[in-house]
Amino acid sequence: MSRSWRRDLAVSIVLLAIAVAVPLLFKTRYIVTQATLFFIWATVVTQWNLVLGVGGIFSLAQMALFACGAYTAAMLGYYLAVPLWLGIPLGGAVTVLLSLLIGLACLRLRGPYVALLTLAIAQMIFIYIINDTDCFTNPPSGCMPLFGGVRGVTRFGELGFRELFGARFYVANYYLTLLLLVLAVLFSIVIVRGPMGLAFQALRDNPGYAVSRGISRFKYQLWLFGLSAFFTGLAGAVYATNFRAIGPDVFSLTLLLFLLSMIVVGGLGTIWGPLLGAALLMLADEGMKELSDYRNIGLGAILTAFVILLPRGLAGVSVAISREGRRMRHKAAPP
Amino acid sequence: MSEVIVQIVASGLTIGAMYAVSTIGLSLVYGSLGMLNMAHGAILTFGGYIAYYIATTLGLPPLLGGLAAVAVGALLGLAVYIVAAQPLLRSRSFETSIFIATIGVGTVLENVMLKLFGAYPLPQPLAVGGDLEIGGVHIPYQNILILAISLLLMAAVALLLKRTRIGRAVRATAQNREAAQLMGVRVGTVYALVLALSGALAAISGIMISSLTTLSPTMGADPMLKAFIICVVAGLGNIYGAVVSALLLGLLEAIAQYVVGVRFGFATLLVLVIVVLIWRPYGLFGHRQVVRL
Repeated sequence: MSRSWRRDLAVSIVLLAIAVAVPLLFKTRYIVTQATLFFIWATVVTQWNLVLGVGGIFSLAQMALFACGAYTAAMLGYYLAVPLWLGIPLGGAVTVLLSLLIGLACLRLRGPYVALLTLAIAQMIFIYIINDTDCFTNPPSGCMPLFGGVRGVTRFGELGFRELFGARFYVANYYLTLLLLVLAVLFSIVIVRGPMGLAFQALRDNPGYAVSRGISRFKYQLWLFGLSAFFTGLAGAVYATNFRAIGPDVFSLTLLLFLLSMIVVGGLGTIWGPLLGAALLMLADEGMKELSDYRNIGLGAILTAFVILLPRGLAGVSVAISREGRRMRHKAAPP
Repeated sequence: MSEVIVQIVASGLTIGAMYAVSTIGLSLVYGSLGMLNMAHGAILTFGGYIAYYIATTLGLPPLLGGLAAVAVGALLGLAVYIVAAQPLLRSRSFETSIFIATIGVGTVLENVMLKLFGAYPLPQPLAVGGDLEIGGVHIPYQNILILAISLLLMAAVALLLKRTRIGRAVRATAQNREAAQLMGVRVGTVYALVLALSGALAAISGIMISSLTTLSPTMGADPMLKAFIICVVAGLGNIYGAVVSALLLGLLEAIAQYVVGVRFGFATLLVLVIVVLIWRPYGLFGHRQVVRL
């Protein structure tokens, strides 16, 4: 136990030091803004991994939860002029409520039913948003449906980084998203190594014994689904703040697939795997940008290949290698 | 009023019959392999495009296009078995892995079509014109044809499952893989066959769906989602329940479109489905599976 704690701590400190230094070393705006986006996706992916890899909940509603946080913050700002520093946490809170509702409806079902139902719920919200063309208000900029319709919601205020930092406001956004990711990773470490992680491990290893000892799968899954939704919603709200807009494009299946690939490539159910996967896939995506037509073909092929050939992902491979290494050392130096 | 009812029933039955054909394939695959084939929508679209390619681009007889589409659909189903299902069958988390793997396969197929045929909507050549008048309502021959073909296909699948050796092997495998294997059933062949059959059915439903709307690389996503919903409502793997649910949901969708408008028809349907699932978590026709721990 203490070993894994120490390793987690060491990895976190090294990664954090690198992340803090990036905007000081690279003056290119593109690198900093892409890293900002990376932090947001990494936050979503760590929480999705908790739900999918640790809790065994096959939720495909993660981007709907993300959108819920983003839309809550944006609409509160747009309609009620709620400042974003308040709107972002409120976005997280509303997302928790939505996720508990979805959880109550879905979590009594088994694996594939959960996947289909959560996908259907996400699609339903998406279809509702893009098909709603009735004007809710009529500002000078034109008709505004309640959820902004296809165009989405813009002009909902700012955090004030532009006044504070001038042209380098994006560096402030960078550190904000970094803070978000650090909190999300800390949360995931606490969950995986804490009692809840143990409960899920027990349910996986010996469900009969675990249930007879009073561990309720439904209760723990609902808790996990609800708690992790807070950070997913926060990530959405921060995403909206960063881009100063939120639209229905976050519901796209391509994006969902991109994020799912990050988890699968990195390693389902591990703490650091999804982060590694997110970094690798964003780099691969950057490399494939030139071949725009083949980008999705590449993505689909990567996803299929990893599930079939390396089901434990890159994190699983590294664990296997280090275990092999330790065994070899033991053999080389007999006691 | 009676005209409205005739209209709703006619369009509801057509929609339902189309859904039923693509749903049987999905349900058959889930029933025997326990896998959700997320590439189903892409195979369905591919069928529509192959028919278009043979009949319009090459100018060959449309019926030949239909046959070619069925063949390609079956081959794609077989490809899903060889590429994804077979290597994963022994995996401990088969249900999750195959779901993700077929999402990948489906994405590849969808984007290959985008590359080959472009993103512009195309008309489906395999369609008939004209209409029939029943009680003051004009019903297109195409709708009647779709209904007839769907009913024929459903009867054929039922006969195949109930009356043939192969059908018995499929049912035996679905009931218990190990026992069937011990009785000498080649389980691998059965699985390959089921996926090929499901691919062929998907291709036919792709032609039918695109004959009422248009062809586009992403057109498969919507019928696939609906087919899954129908499967879920019926109880996954329950084929007869799936046919009944498909017709029922087709009618419901037609009613919902008339009452709340086309825009919110699908959303209303989904709300209904969620309510059904909260009420009966294993579907309308499904039974609670008792799992020994």
